[in-house]
Amino acid sequence: MTAPVHMAGTRTARYRYMTWFWRAVAIAFAAITVFPVYWMVQSAFEPNSDIASLAPNFFPVHFTFHNFVDAVHHTAGVGTAYFLDDARNSLLVVASATAITLVFGFLAAAAVSRFRLRGASAFLVLILVVQMVPGTALIIPVFLMLDNLHLTDNYFGLILVYAASTLPFTIWALRGFVRGVPIELEEAAMVDGATRFGAFRRILLPLVLPGVVSAGVFAFITSWNDFLAADVLMQQNNHQTLPVWLYSFTTNTGTDYGGLMAGCTIMALPVVIFFLLVQRRLVSGLTAGAVKG
Amino acid sequence: MRRQLLPLLFLLPSVGLISFLTLYPLGKLIATSFQNLGAFQLVQHKVVWDGLENYRTIFASGGGLGTSILQTALFVLACVGLTMAVGTGVALLLGRIGKVLRTVVTVCMLFAWAMPTSAAATVWTWLFQQEYGVVNDTLTSLGLNFSNHNWFGSEIGAYSIIVANIAWGAVPFVALMMYSALTLVPRDLYEAAAVDGASATITFRKVTMPIVRPIFVLMTVLSIIWDANVFNQVWYLTQGNAQLLNVVPLGVWQYIEAFSSTQYGLGAAVAVIMILLLVAVTGYYIRLMVRTGQVKAEAKA
Repeated sequence: MTAPVHMAGTRTARYRYMTWFWRAVAIAFAAITVFPVYWMVQSAFEPNSDIASLAPNFFPVHFTFHNFVDAVHHTAGVGTAYFLDDARNSLLVVASATAITLVFGFLAAAAVSRFRLRGASAFLVLILVVQMVPGTALIIPVFLMLDNLHLTDNYFGLILVYAASTLPFTIWALRGFVRGVPIELEEAAMVDGATRFGAFRRILLPLVLPGVVSAGVFAFITSWNDFLAADVLMQQNNHQTLPVWLYSFTTNTGTDYGGLMAGCTIMALPVVIFFLLVQRRLVSGLTAGAVKG
Repeated sequence: MRRQLLPLLFLLPSVGLISFLTLYPLGKLIATSFQNLGAFQLVQHKVVWDGLENYRTIFASGGGLGTSILQTALFVLACVGLTMAVGTGVALLLGRIGKVLRTVVTVCMLFAWAMPTSAAATVWTWLFQQEYGVVNDTLTSLGLNFSNHNWFGSEIGAYSIIVANIAWGAVPFVALMMYSALTLVPRDLYEAAAVDGASATITFRKVTMPIVRPIFVLMTVLSIIWDANVFNQVWYLTQGNAQLLNVVPLGVWQYIEAFSSTQYGLGAAVAVIMILLLVAVTGYYIRLMVRTGQVKAEAKA
Protein backbone atom coordinates (compact mmCIF):
# COMPACT_ATOMS: atom_id res chain seq x y z
CA MET A 1 0.00 0.00 0.00
CA THR A 2 2.71 2.45 0.94
CA ALA A 3 5.02 1.74 -2.00
CA PRO A 4 2.96 3.48 -4.74
CA VAL A 5 2.41 6.51 -2.54
CA HIS A 6 6.11 6.68 -1.81
CA MET A 7 6.92 6.38 -5.53
CA ALA A 8 4.42 9.05 -6.41
CA GLY A 9 6.04 11.23 -3.76
CA THR A 10 9.54 10.93 -5.20
CA ARG A 11 8.29 11.46 -8.73
CA THR A 12 6.63 14.71 -7.67
CA ALA A 13 9.76 15.81 -5.83
CA ARG A 14 11.91 15.03 -8.85
CA TYR A 15 9.43 16.84 -11.10
CA ARG A 16 9.55 19.91 -8.88
CA TYR A 17 13.32 19.78 -8.76
CA MET A 18 13.46 19.63 -12.57
CA THR A 19 10.94 22.46 -12.89
CA TRP A 20 13.15 24.69 -10.76
CA PHE A 21 16.15 23.66 -12.84
CA TRP A 22 14.41 24.62 -16.10
CA ARG A 23 13.29 27.91 -14.57
CA ALA A 24 16.88 28.70 -13.63
CA VAL A 25 18.08 27.85 -17.16
CA ALA A 26 15.34 30.05 -18.63
CA ILE A 27 16.25 32.99 -16.41
CA ALA A 28 19.97 32.65 -17.21
CA PHE A 29 19.23 32.48 -20.93
CA ALA A 30 16.90 35.49 -20.77
CA ALA A 31 19.52 37.49 -18.85
CA ILE A 32 22.27 36.78 -21.40
CA THR A 33 19.93 37.48 -24.29
CA VAL A 34 18.70 40.79 -22.95
CA PHE A 35 22.03 42.03 -21.61
CA PRO A 36 23.21 43.83 -24.79
CA VAL A 37 19.75 45.42 -24.98
CA TYR A 38 20.04 46.53 -21.37
CA TRP A 39 23.44 47.99 -22.16
CA MET A 40 21.93 49.96 -25.03
CA VAL A 41 19.12 51.31 -22.83
CA GLN A 42 21.40 52.29 -19.95
CA SER A 43 23.74 54.07 -22.40
CA ALA A 44 20.73 55.96 -23.70
CA PHE A 45 20.29 57.45 -20.21
CA GLU A 46 23.93 58.48 -19.92
CA PRO A 47 25.49 61.72 -21.13
CA ASN A 48 27.74 61.22 -24.15
CA SER A 49 30.82 62.01 -22.04
CA ASP A 50 30.10 58.95 -19.86
CA ILE A 51 29.46 56.66 -22.84
CA ALA A 52 32.77 57.70 -24.36
CA SER A 53 34.65 57.24 -21.08
CA LEU A 54 36.41 53.92 -21.06
CA ALA A 55 35.31 52.65 -17.66
CA PRO A 56 31.82 51.19 -18.17
CA ASN A 57 28.98 51.69 -15.69
CA PHE A 58 26.35 49.07 -14.99
CA PHE A 59 23.93 51.85 -14.10
CA PRO A 60 23.91 55.40 -15.46
CA VAL A 61 25.87 57.55 -12.98
CA HIS A 62 24.71 60.89 -14.39
CA PHE A 63 21.16 59.89 -15.25
CA THR A 64 19.67 62.06 -18.02
CA PHE A 65 16.77 62.23 -20.48
CA HIS A 66 18.83 64.53 -22.64
CA ASN A 67 19.53 61.91 -25.34
CA PHE A 68 15.84 61.16 -25.80
CA VAL A 69 14.87 64.82 -26.03
CA ASP A 70 17.77 65.33 -28.39
CA ALA A 71 16.89 62.31 -30.53
CA VAL A 72 13.29 63.39 -30.99
CA HIS A 73 14.28 66.96 -31.89
CA HIS A 74 17.27 65.78 -33.90
CA THR A 75 17.43 67.71 -37.17
CA ALA A 76 20.29 65.94 -39.00
CA GLY A 77 21.39 69.29 -40.39
CA VAL A 78 18.25 69.84 -42.49
CA GLY A 79 16.57 72.36 -40.21
CA THR A 80 13.40 70.49 -39.29
CA ALA A 81 13.02 67.60 -36.92
CA TYR A 82 11.32 64.79 -38.79
CA PHE A 83 11.17 62.10 -36.13
CA LEU A 84 7.37 62.23 -35.88
CA ASP A 85 6.95 62.07 -39.68
CA ASP A 86 9.30 59.12 -39.93
CA ALA A 87 7.69 57.31 -37.01
CA ARG A 88 4.26 57.71 -38.62
CA ASN A 89 5.63 56.52 -41.99
CA SER A 90 7.25 53.50 -40.38
CA LEU A 91 4.05 52.48 -38.59
CA LEU A 92 1.92 52.98 -41.69
CA VAL A 93 4.24 51.17 -44.09
CA VAL A 94 5.16 48.29 -41.79
CA ALA A 95 1.62 47.64 -40.54
CA SER A 96 0.26 47.60 -44.11
CA ALA A 97 3.07 45.38 -45.40
CA THR A 98 2.62 42.92 -42.53
CA ALA A 99 -1.13 42.71 -43.10
CA ILE A 100 -0.69 42.13 -46.85
CA THR A 101 1.98 39.47 -46.25
CA LEU A 102 -0.16 37.55 -43.78
CA VAL A 103 -3.33 37.55 -45.90
CA PHE A 104 -1.54 36.70 -49.17
CA GLY A 105 0.72 34.21 -47.40
CA PHE A 106 -2.08 32.31 -45.68
CA LEU A 107 -4.12 32.04 -48.89
CA ALA A 108 -1.08 30.88 -50.87
CA ALA A 109 -0.04 28.37 -48.19
CA ALA A 110 -3.56 26.94 -48.08
CA ALA A 111 -3.62 26.71 -51.89
CA VAL A 112 -0.28 24.91 -52.28
CA SER A 113 -0.80 22.47 -49.43
CA ARG A 114 -4.47 21.60 -49.88
CA PHE A 115 -4.75 21.45 -53.68
CA ARG A 116 -2.84 19.77 -56.43
CA LEU A 117 -1.58 22.60 -58.56
CA ARG A 118 0.64 22.36 -61.58
CA GLY A 119 3.67 24.61 -61.20
CA ALA A 120 3.19 25.09 -57.46
CA SER A 121 6.41 23.20 -56.64
CA ALA A 122 8.40 25.24 -59.13
CA PHE A 123 6.98 28.39 -57.59
CA LEU A 124 7.92 27.28 -54.07
CA VAL A 125 11.47 26.45 -55.14
CA LEU A 126 11.85 29.75 -57.00
CA ILE A 127 10.80 31.89 -54.04
CA LEU A 128 13.30 30.02 -51.88
CA VAL A 129 16.03 30.68 -54.47
CA VAL A 130 15.20 34.38 -54.28
CA GLN A 131 16.13 34.24 -50.59
CA MET A 132 19.65 33.31 -51.67
CA VAL A 133 20.23 36.65 -53.35
CA PRO A 134 21.76 39.37 -51.18
CA GLY A 135 19.35 42.30 -50.78
CA THR A 136 22.09 44.67 -51.86
CA ALA A 137 22.23 42.87 -55.23
CA LEU A 138 18.47 43.09 -55.84
CA ILE A 139 17.80 46.65 -54.82
CA ILE A 140 19.15 48.31 -57.99
CA PRO A 141 16.85 46.44 -60.43
CA VAL A 142 13.94 46.97 -58.00
CA PHE A 143 14.62 50.69 -57.91
CA LEU A 144 14.83 50.99 -61.71
CA MET A 145 11.57 49.12 -62.15
CA LEU A 146 9.63 51.07 -59.52
CA ASP A 147 11.03 54.29 -60.94
CA ASN A 148 9.55 53.43 -64.34
CA LEU A 149 6.17 53.03 -62.65
CA HIS A 150 6.59 56.27 -60.65
CA LEU A 151 6.45 54.26 -57.44
CA THR A 152 9.66 55.58 -55.91
CA ASP A 153 9.34 58.08 -53.09
CA ASN A 154 5.90 56.53 -52.69
CA TYR A 155 4.60 54.72 -49.60
CA PHE A 156 2.67 52.23 -51.69
CA GLY A 157 5.87 51.21 -53.51
CA LEU A 158 7.71 50.65 -50.24
CA ILE A 159 4.78 48.67 -48.80
CA LEU A 160 4.84 46.39 -51.86
CA VAL A 161 8.61 45.89 -51.56
CA TYR A 162 8.35 44.88 -47.91
CA ALA A 163 5.37 42.61 -48.53
CA ALA A 164 7.18 40.94 -51.43
CA SER A 165 10.37 40.44 -49.44
CA THR A 166 8.69 38.84 -46.42
CA LEU A 167 6.12 36.85 -48.40
CA PRO A 168 8.37 33.92 -49.45
CA PHE A 169 9.18 33.08 -45.83
CA THR A 170 5.55 33.53 -44.78
CA ILE A 171 4.30 31.15 -47.48
CA TRP A 172 6.88 28.49 -46.62
CA ALA A 173 6.35 28.78 -42.87
CA LEU A 174 2.56 28.70 -43.07
CA ARG A 175 2.77 25.77 -45.49
CA GLY A 176 4.72 23.94 -42.77
CA PHE A 177 2.04 24.76 -40.23
CA VAL A 178 -0.85 23.82 -42.52
CA ARG A 179 0.80 20.46 -43.12
CA GLY A 180 0.79 19.88 -39.37
CA VAL A 181 -3.04 20.15 -39.30
CA PRO A 182 -4.89 17.01 -40.42
CA ILE A 183 -7.07 17.72 -43.45
CA GLU A 184 -9.81 15.56 -41.86
CA LEU A 185 -10.79 18.51 -39.66
CA GLU A 186 -11.65 20.63 -42.69
CA GLU A 187 -13.34 17.71 -44.41
CA ALA A 188 -15.53 17.22 -41.35
CA ALA A 189 -16.53 20.88 -41.49
CA MET A 190 -17.33 20.56 -45.19
CA VAL A 191 -19.47 17.50 -44.53
CA ASP A 192 -21.31 19.68 -42.05
CA GLY A 193 -22.02 22.17 -44.83
CA ALA A 194 -19.09 24.59 -44.71
CA THR A 195 -17.66 25.84 -47.98
CA ARG A 196 -14.01 25.24 -48.80
CA PHE A 197 -13.23 28.86 -47.96
CA GLY A 198 -15.33 28.65 -44.81
CA ALA A 199 -13.36 25.59 -43.72
CA PHE A 200 -10.08 27.47 -44.26
CA ARG A 201 -11.26 30.48 -42.33
CA ARG A 202 -13.07 28.78 -39.43
CA ILE A 203 -11.07 25.57 -39.01
CA LEU A 204 -7.62 25.91 -40.54
CA LEU A 205 -6.87 29.54 -39.66
CA PRO A 206 -7.47 29.23 -35.89
CA LEU A 207 -5.32 26.08 -35.80
CA VAL A 208 -2.36 27.66 -37.58
CA LEU A 209 -2.76 30.99 -35.78
CA PRO A 210 0.45 30.51 -33.74
CA GLY A 211 2.28 30.21 -37.07
CA VAL A 212 0.54 33.30 -38.42
CA VAL A 213 1.54 35.25 -35.33
CA SER A 214 5.19 34.13 -35.56
CA ALA A 215 5.32 34.94 -39.27
CA GLY A 216 3.68 38.29 -38.49
CA VAL A 217 6.32 39.12 -35.89
CA PHE A 218 8.98 38.16 -38.44
CA ALA A 219 7.44 40.34 -41.16
CA PHE A 220 6.99 43.25 -38.76
CA ILE A 221 10.55 43.22 -37.40
CA THR A 222 12.16 42.60 -40.81
CA SER A 223 10.45 45.58 -42.43
CA TRP A 224 10.65 47.71 -39.29
CA ASN A 225 14.44 47.46 -39.23
CA ASP A 226 15.07 47.66 -42.97
CA PHE A 227 17.40 50.44 -43.93
CA LEU A 228 18.38 49.60 -47.51
CA ALA A 229 15.03 49.70 -49.33
CA ALA A 230 13.78 52.78 -47.48
CA ASP A 231 17.03 54.63 -48.08
CA VAL A 232 17.15 53.79 -51.80
CA LEU A 233 13.45 54.13 -52.63
CA MET A 234 12.31 57.09 -50.53
CA GLN A 235 13.93 60.40 -51.31
CA GLN A 236 12.52 63.16 -49.14
CA ASN A 237 13.51 63.35 -45.50
CA ASN A 238 9.94 63.47 -44.25
CA HIS A 239 9.07 60.42 -46.35
CA GLN A 240 11.72 58.26 -44.68
CA THR A 241 11.31 55.56 -42.07
CA LEU A 242 12.92 55.27 -38.64
CA PRO A 243 16.02 53.20 -39.60
CA VAL A 244 17.02 55.97 -42.02
CA TRP A 245 16.37 58.55 -39.31
CA LEU A 246 18.57 56.44 -37.02
CA TYR A 247 21.37 56.43 -39.55
CA SER A 248 21.55 60.24 -39.45
CA PHE A 249 23.10 60.01 -35.97
CA THR A 250 26.28 58.87 -37.71
CA THR A 251 27.89 61.74 -39.57
CA ASN A 252 31.28 62.39 -41.11
CA THR A 253 32.40 64.00 -37.88
CA GLY A 254 31.54 60.96 -35.74
CA THR A 255 28.66 59.13 -34.16
CA ASP A 256 26.31 60.59 -31.55
CA TYR A 257 26.19 57.37 -29.51
CA GLY A 258 23.80 58.72 -26.88
CA GLY A 259 21.33 59.77 -29.56
CA LEU A 260 21.80 56.50 -31.45
CA MET A 261 21.12 54.37 -28.36
CA ALA A 262 18.11 56.52 -27.39
CA GLY A 263 16.82 56.28 -30.94
CA CYS A 264 17.18 52.48 -30.96
CA THR A 265 15.40 52.28 -27.60
CA ILE A 266 12.48 54.33 -28.95
CA MET A 267 12.41 52.14 -32.07
CA ALA A 268 12.23 48.91 -30.07
CA LEU A 269 9.08 49.95 -28.20
CA PRO A 270 6.49 49.52 -31.03
CA VAL A 271 7.89 46.06 -31.77
CA VAL A 272 7.41 44.94 -28.19
CA ILE A 273 3.95 46.54 -27.99
CA PHE A 274 2.97 44.77 -31.22
CA PHE A 275 4.17 41.48 -29.80
CA LEU A 276 2.38 41.93 -26.46
CA LEU A 277 -0.85 42.59 -28.39
CA VAL A 278 -0.60 39.38 -30.41
CA GLN A 279 1.27 37.05 -28.06
CA ARG A 280 -1.86 35.50 -26.51
CA ARG A 281 -2.44 33.91 -29.92
CA LEU A 282 0.94 32.24 -29.87
CA VAL A 283 -0.53 29.25 -28.10
CA SER A 284 -3.64 28.05 -29.83
CA GLY A 285 -4.72 25.55 -27.20
CA LEU A 286 -7.22 24.32 -29.77
CA THR A 287 -4.96 21.56 -30.98
CA ALA A 288 -5.02 19.66 -27.73
CA GLY A 289 -7.64 16.99 -28.09
CA ALA A 290 -8.87 18.17 -31.49
CA VAL A 291 -7.27 15.25 -33.30
CA LYS A 292 -8.44 12.19 -31.39
CA GLY A 293 -8.00 8.91 -33.21
CA MET B 1 -12.28 23.21 -64.00
CA ARG B 2 -14.18 25.05 -61.33
CA ARG B 3 -12.35 23.19 -58.58
CA GLN B 4 -9.06 24.61 -59.77
CA LEU B 5 -10.35 28.17 -59.75
CA LEU B 6 -10.30 28.70 -55.98
CA PRO B 7 -6.64 27.70 -55.36
CA LEU B 8 -5.51 29.74 -58.34
CA LEU B 9 -7.38 32.70 -56.95
CA PHE B 10 -5.65 32.14 -53.60
CA LEU B 11 -2.24 31.89 -55.20
CA LEU B 12 -2.57 34.76 -57.65
CA PRO B 13 -1.86 37.72 -55.31
CA SER B 14 1.35 36.14 -54.01
CA VAL B 15 2.55 35.01 -57.43
CA GLY B 16 1.86 38.46 -58.86
CA LEU B 17 3.62 40.38 -56.12
CA ILE B 18 6.63 38.07 -55.94
CA SER B 19 7.10 37.83 -59.71
CA PHE B 20 6.88 41.58 -60.01
CA LEU B 21 9.23 42.51 -57.19
CA THR B 22 11.63 39.61 -56.77
CA LEU B 23 11.65 37.19 -59.70
CA TYR B 24 11.98 39.92 -62.31
CA PRO B 25 14.85 41.65 -60.46
CA LEU B 26 16.48 38.22 -60.07
CA GLY B 27 16.38 37.84 -63.87
CA LYS B 28 17.87 41.31 -64.20
CA LEU B 29 20.65 40.36 -61.80
CA ILE B 30 21.53 37.25 -63.79
CA ALA B 31 21.59 39.34 -66.97
CA THR B 32 23.83 41.91 -65.27
CA SER B 33 26.33 39.18 -64.40
CA PHE B 34 27.01 38.84 -68.15
CA GLN B 35 27.51 42.58 -68.60
CA ASN B 36 30.30 45.04 -68.02
CA LEU B 37 28.37 47.38 -65.74
CA GLY B 38 30.29 49.99 -63.78
CA ALA B 39 29.22 53.39 -62.51
CA PHE B 40 29.97 54.90 -65.94
CA GLN B 41 27.76 52.50 -67.89
CA LEU B 42 25.01 52.87 -65.26
CA VAL B 43 24.88 56.65 -65.61
CA GLN B 44 25.06 56.44 -69.40
CA HIS B 45 22.31 53.77 -69.49
CA LYS B 46 24.63 51.72 -71.64
CA VAL B 47 24.37 47.96 -71.90
CA VAL B 48 27.69 46.35 -72.66
CA TRP B 49 27.42 42.58 -73.02
CA ASP B 50 30.55 40.93 -71.85
CA GLY B 51 29.90 37.22 -72.13
CA LEU B 52 31.58 35.20 -69.40
CA GLU B 53 34.20 37.86 -68.71
CA ASN B 54 33.02 38.52 -65.12
CA TYR B 55 33.07 34.83 -64.31
CA ARG B 56 36.51 34.48 -65.89
CA THR B 57 37.80 37.32 -63.71
CA ILE B 58 36.46 35.65 -60.59
CA PHE B 59 37.90 32.23 -61.36
CA ALA B 60 41.17 33.83 -62.46
CA SER B 61 41.55 35.44 -59.04
CA GLY B 62 43.20 32.17 -58.06
CA GLY B 63 42.80 31.03 -54.49
CA GLY B 64 40.53 33.96 -53.65
CA LEU B 65 37.29 32.25 -54.56
CA GLY B 66 38.23 28.87 -53.09
CA THR B 67 39.34 30.40 -49.80
CA SER B 68 36.22 32.51 -49.60
CA ILE B 69 33.98 29.49 -50.26
CA LEU B 70 35.73 27.41 -47.61
CA GLN B 71 35.60 30.33 -45.19
CA THR B 72 31.90 30.83 -45.87
CA ALA B 73 31.18 27.12 -45.41
CA LEU B 74 32.87 26.94 -42.00
CA PHE B 75 31.31 30.23 -40.94
CA VAL B 76 27.81 29.15 -41.98
CA LEU B 77 28.22 25.77 -40.30
CA ALA B 78 29.15 27.44 -37.01
CA CYS B 79 26.34 30.02 -37.19
CA VAL B 80 23.60 27.60 -38.24
CA GLY B 81 24.68 24.83 -35.85
CA LEU B 82 24.69 27.18 -32.88
CA THR B 83 21.46 28.94 -33.86
CA MET B 84 19.43 25.79 -34.51
CA ALA B 85 20.70 23.92 -31.43
CA VAL B 86 20.09 26.78 -29.00
CA GLY B 87 16.88 27.87 -30.74
CA THR B 88 15.31 24.40 -30.60
CA GLY B 89 16.49 23.96 -27.02
CA VAL B 90 14.89 27.23 -25.98
CA ALA B 91 11.65 26.31 -27.79
CA LEU B 92 11.46 23.07 -25.77
CA LEU B 93 12.39 24.99 -22.63
CA LEU B 94 9.52 27.44 -23.19
CA GLY B 95 7.13 24.51 -22.99
CA ARG B 96 8.43 23.49 -19.57
CA ILE B 97 8.11 26.78 -17.72
CA GLY B 98 5.09 28.70 -16.47
CA LYS B 99 3.17 31.26 -18.44
CA VAL B 100 4.58 34.33 -16.70
CA LEU B 101 8.22 33.28 -17.04
CA ARG B 102 7.58 32.25 -20.64
CA THR B 103 6.30 35.73 -21.46
CA VAL B 104 9.30 37.29 -19.73
CA VAL B 105 11.77 35.11 -21.68
CA THR B 106 9.95 35.75 -24.96
CA VAL B 107 9.90 39.51 -24.45
CA CYS B 108 13.65 39.44 -23.63
CA MET B 109 14.24 37.52 -26.88
CA LEU B 110 12.07 39.95 -28.78
CA PHE B 111 14.11 42.90 -27.54
CA ALA B 112 17.26 41.21 -28.80
CA TRP B 113 15.66 40.33 -32.13
CA ALA B 114 14.30 43.85 -32.59
CA MET B 115 17.64 45.54 -31.93
CA PRO B 116 18.96 46.98 -35.21
CA THR B 117 22.13 45.13 -36.25
CA SER B 118 24.16 48.33 -36.40
CA ALA B 119 23.31 49.26 -32.81
CA ALA B 120 23.82 45.67 -31.66
CA ALA B 121 27.24 45.57 -33.27
CA THR B 122 28.19 48.85 -31.59
CA VAL B 123 27.14 47.59 -28.16
CA TRP B 124 28.92 44.29 -28.72
CA THR B 125 32.19 46.04 -29.53
CA TRP B 126 31.81 47.95 -26.25
CA LEU B 127 31.12 44.75 -24.33
CA PHE B 128 34.15 43.01 -25.82
CA GLN B 129 36.41 46.05 -25.64
CA GLN B 130 39.98 45.05 -24.79
CA GLU B 131 40.77 47.10 -21.69
CA TYR B 132 37.46 48.08 -20.12
CA GLY B 133 34.89 45.77 -21.73
CA VAL B 134 32.38 44.13 -19.40
CA VAL B 135 33.06 40.64 -20.79
CA ASN B 136 36.79 40.69 -20.01
CA ASP B 137 36.00 42.21 -16.61
CA THR B 138 33.48 39.52 -15.75
CA LEU B 139 35.57 36.61 -17.02
CA THR B 140 38.59 37.87 -15.08
CA SER B 141 36.62 38.24 -11.87
CA LEU B 142 35.46 34.64 -12.38
CA GLY B 143 39.10 33.65 -12.09
CA LEU B 144 39.87 33.29 -15.81
CA ASN B 145 42.77 35.25 -17.20
CA PHE B 146 41.02 37.50 -19.68
CA SER B 147 42.30 40.88 -18.52
CA ASN B 148 43.39 42.87 -21.55
CA HIS B 149 42.42 40.03 -23.89
CA ASN B 150 42.11 41.36 -27.43
CA TRP B 151 39.12 39.56 -28.99
CA PHE B 152 39.61 41.24 -32.34
CA GLY B 153 43.33 40.51 -32.43
CA SER B 154 42.97 37.20 -34.24
CA GLU B 155 40.70 35.90 -36.98
CA ILE B 156 39.45 33.12 -34.70
CA GLY B 157 38.64 35.57 -31.91
CA ALA B 158 36.93 38.05 -34.20
CA TYR B 159 34.92 35.39 -36.00
CA SER B 160 33.87 33.82 -32.68
CA ILE B 161 32.32 37.12 -31.71
CA ILE B 162 30.70 37.57 -35.12
CA VAL B 163 29.24 34.04 -34.92
CA ALA B 164 28.03 34.63 -31.35
CA ASN B 165 26.49 37.94 -32.39
CA ILE B 166 24.67 36.38 -35.34
CA ALA B 167 23.40 33.46 -33.26
CA TRP B 168 22.29 35.86 -30.51
CA GLY B 169 20.27 37.79 -33.08
CA ALA B 170 18.83 34.69 -34.79
CA VAL B 171 18.00 32.43 -31.83
CA PRO B 172 14.88 34.42 -30.83
CA PHE B 173 13.39 33.97 -34.30
CA VAL B 174 14.17 30.25 -34.46
CA ALA B 175 12.99 29.68 -30.89
CA LEU B 176 9.70 31.49 -31.52
CA MET B 177 9.02 29.61 -34.77
CA MET B 178 9.91 26.26 -33.21
CA TYR B 179 7.83 26.98 -30.13
CA SER B 180 4.76 27.81 -32.19
CA ALA B 181 5.40 24.67 -34.26
CA LEU B 182 5.48 22.64 -31.02
CA THR B 183 1.94 23.78 -30.25
CA LEU B 184 0.87 21.66 -33.25
CA VAL B 185 1.80 18.46 -31.40
CA PRO B 186 -1.37 17.08 -29.79
CA ARG B 187 -0.96 16.67 -26.07
CA ASP B 188 -2.47 13.16 -26.08
CA LEU B 189 0.51 11.94 -28.09
CA TYR B 190 2.84 12.95 -25.26
CA GLU B 191 0.58 11.26 -22.74
CA ALA B 192 0.55 8.09 -24.83
CA ALA B 193 4.35 8.17 -25.10
CA ALA B 194 4.65 8.65 -21.34
CA VAL B 195 2.30 5.71 -20.69
CA ASP B 196 4.47 3.58 -22.97
CA GLY B 197 7.47 4.61 -20.88
CA ALA B 198 9.29 6.39 -23.72
CA SER B 199 12.35 8.40 -22.68
CA ALA B 200 12.56 12.12 -23.35
CA THR B 201 14.94 11.55 -26.26
CA ILE B 202 12.71 8.91 -27.87
CA THR B 203 9.64 11.09 -27.36
CA PHE B 204 11.37 14.02 -29.03
CA ARG B 205 12.57 11.94 -31.98
CA LYS B 206 9.43 9.86 -32.54
CA VAL B 207 6.59 12.14 -31.43
CA THR B 208 7.71 15.76 -31.58
CA MET B 209 10.11 15.75 -34.52
CA PRO B 210 7.84 14.23 -37.20
CA ILE B 211 5.31 17.04 -36.66
CA VAL B 212 7.71 19.96 -36.32
CA ARG B 213 10.13 18.68 -38.99
CA PRO B 214 8.79 20.85 -41.85
CA ILE B 215 9.41 23.97 -39.78
CA PHE B 216 12.75 22.70 -38.45
CA VAL B 217 14.08 21.89 -41.93
CA LEU B 218 12.75 25.19 -43.28
CA MET B 219 14.46 27.15 -40.50
CA THR B 220 17.72 25.26 -41.09
CA VAL B 221 17.67 25.86 -44.84
CA LEU B 222 16.81 29.53 -44.41
CA SER B 223 19.48 29.96 -41.74
CA ILE B 224 22.04 28.50 -44.15
CA ILE B 225 20.89 30.90 -46.86
CA TRP B 226 20.71 33.98 -44.64
CA ASP B 227 23.98 33.34 -42.82
CA ALA B 228 25.84 32.79 -46.11
CA ASN B 229 24.51 36.19 -47.15
CA VAL B 230 25.23 37.88 -43.86
CA PHE B 231 26.76 41.27 -44.30
CA ASN B 232 25.93 43.81 -41.60
CA GLN B 233 27.37 41.94 -38.63
CA VAL B 234 30.67 41.14 -40.36
CA TRP B 235 30.96 44.66 -41.70
CA TYR B 236 30.23 46.52 -38.46
CA LEU B 237 32.13 44.22 -36.12
CA THR B 238 35.31 44.25 -38.19
CA GLN B 239 35.29 48.00 -38.68
CA GLY B 240 38.68 49.45 -37.90
CA ASN B 241 40.17 45.98 -38.26
CA ALA B 242 40.45 45.95 -42.03
CA GLN B 243 43.08 43.21 -42.05
CA LEU B 244 40.40 40.81 -40.78
CA LEU B 245 38.56 41.33 -44.05
CA ASN B 246 41.34 39.57 -45.93
CA VAL B 247 39.22 36.50 -45.52
CA VAL B 248 35.57 37.30 -45.93
CA PRO B 249 32.37 35.32 -46.40
CA LEU B 250 30.97 35.47 -49.94
CA GLY B 251 28.12 37.81 -49.02
CA VAL B 252 30.60 40.47 -47.98
CA TRP B 253 32.77 39.84 -51.00
CA GLN B 254 29.79 40.41 -53.29
CA TYR B 255 29.14 43.74 -51.62
CA ILE B 256 32.75 44.87 -51.86
CA GLU B 257 32.90 44.01 -55.56
CA ALA B 258 29.59 45.66 -56.37
CA PHE B 259 29.73 48.82 -54.29
CA SER B 260 33.23 49.59 -53.06
CA SER B 261 34.69 48.91 -56.51
CA THR B 262 31.42 49.87 -58.33
CA GLN B 263 31.68 46.85 -60.62
CA TYR B 264 28.05 45.81 -60.56
CA GLY B 265 28.55 43.16 -63.23
CA LEU B 266 31.28 41.49 -61.20
CA GLY B 267 29.22 41.78 -58.00
CA ALA B 268 26.25 40.21 -59.78
CA ALA B 269 28.44 37.34 -60.98
CA VAL B 270 29.59 36.67 -57.40
CA ALA B 271 25.92 36.69 -56.34
CA VAL B 272 25.04 34.20 -59.09
CA ILE B 273 27.90 31.88 -58.10
CA MET B 274 26.65 32.09 -54.53
CA ILE B 275 23.11 31.18 -55.57
CA LEU B 276 24.43 28.13 -57.45
CA LEU B 277 26.49 27.05 -54.44
CA LEU B 278 23.54 27.49 -52.09
CA VAL B 279 21.25 25.56 -54.44
CA ALA B 280 23.84 22.78 -54.48
CA VAL B 281 24.09 22.73 -50.68
CA THR B 282 20.39 23.03 -49.86
CA GLY B 283 18.95 21.40 -53.01
CA TYR B 284 18.46 18.01 -51.38
CA TYR B 285 16.47 19.48 -48.50
CA ILE B 286 14.49 21.78 -50.74
CA ARG B 287 13.45 18.79 -52.87
CA LEU B 288 12.60 16.89 -49.73
CA MET B 289 10.47 19.73 -48.42
CA VAL B 290 8.66 20.20 -51.71
CA ARG B 291 8.06 16.50 -52.25
CA THR B 292 6.68 15.61 -48.82
CA GLY B 293 4.07 18.33 -49.24
CA GLN B 294 3.22 17.09 -52.70
CA VAL B 295 2.63 13.47 -51.75
CA LYS B 296 0.15 14.52 -49.12
CA ALA B 297 -1.69 16.84 -51.49
CA GLU B 298 -1.93 14.14 -54.14
CA ALA B 299 -3.23 11.59 -51.67
CA LYS B 300 -5.96 13.93 -50.56
CA ALA B 301 -6.92 15.44 -53.90
